[in-house]
Amino acid sequence: MAVKVQIPGPLRALAGGAAEVQVEAPTVKALVDALQAKHAGFRERLLDESGALKAYVRVFVNDDDVRTLEGEKTLLKDGDVVAIVPAIAGGTVRPAGLV
Amino acid sequence: MKMSRDLVDTMLAHAKDGYPFEVCGVLLGPAGAGRVRRLVRVANREAEQPRVRYQIAPEDLLRVQREARGDGHEIVGFYHSHPDHPARPSETDRRIAAEGLSDGVVHVVVGVEKGERATPSAWVFRDRGQAFEPEPLEVDE
Repeated sequence: MAVKVQIPGPLRALAGGAAEVQVEAPTVKALVDALQAKHAGFRERLLDESGALKAYVRVFVNDDDVRTLEGEKTLLKDGDVVAIVPAIAGGTVRPAGLV
Repeated sequence: MKMSRDLVDTMLAHAKDGYPFEVCGVLLGPAGAGRVRRLVRVANREAEQPRVRYQIAPEDLLRVQREARGDGHEIVGFYHSHPDHPARPSETDRRIAAEGLSDGVVHVVVGVEKGERATPSAWVFRDRGQAFEPEPLEVDE
């Protein structure tokens, strides 16, 4: 299954600066393995020790977050566009006394 | 990071308008140029503690990213406000950046005092030190 993968800025150095790469993969998990085979470092940036997507990493297949599908087991088909998107969050420490 | 005065003023106005809640947005520009050309406000999706936390929904970020690519821009950074808190990344900001995909990403933090006085500062996260480092914010008049 040939799919296009959109790489976020912080990971492009791993892919030689490419904003988009093409890989052959039947599932999201296989896609991470394919990226890792081509460009070392992807697996540790995307997956935790159990092999699940890290909490602050989101993967979309076309318009769908894989968390709403079958996670890392989500099936891919030819022509899919996969976007790796960082989850951005933060904030101040909760002030004392704030309800 | 270079920004025009107009863009900085737009960002500061957003932070003041949103007080006492945290606001957030995305900074867009040409890849690798170190310049912000556009700024996109996005909703703070933090539901429980929006006065002290912010969250950009990945769906919103994906939409902004696609629109940006359509006009030749990339996401070059983010901004968020700290109502009645200093204009520097908090430990929460650092911890979440360290867990995510943030190496080399610029964050502008806008401190807002009592909804009236807004002060920006820019930072870049480095995986190497697991910390934010100061980033010069050059404002074109």
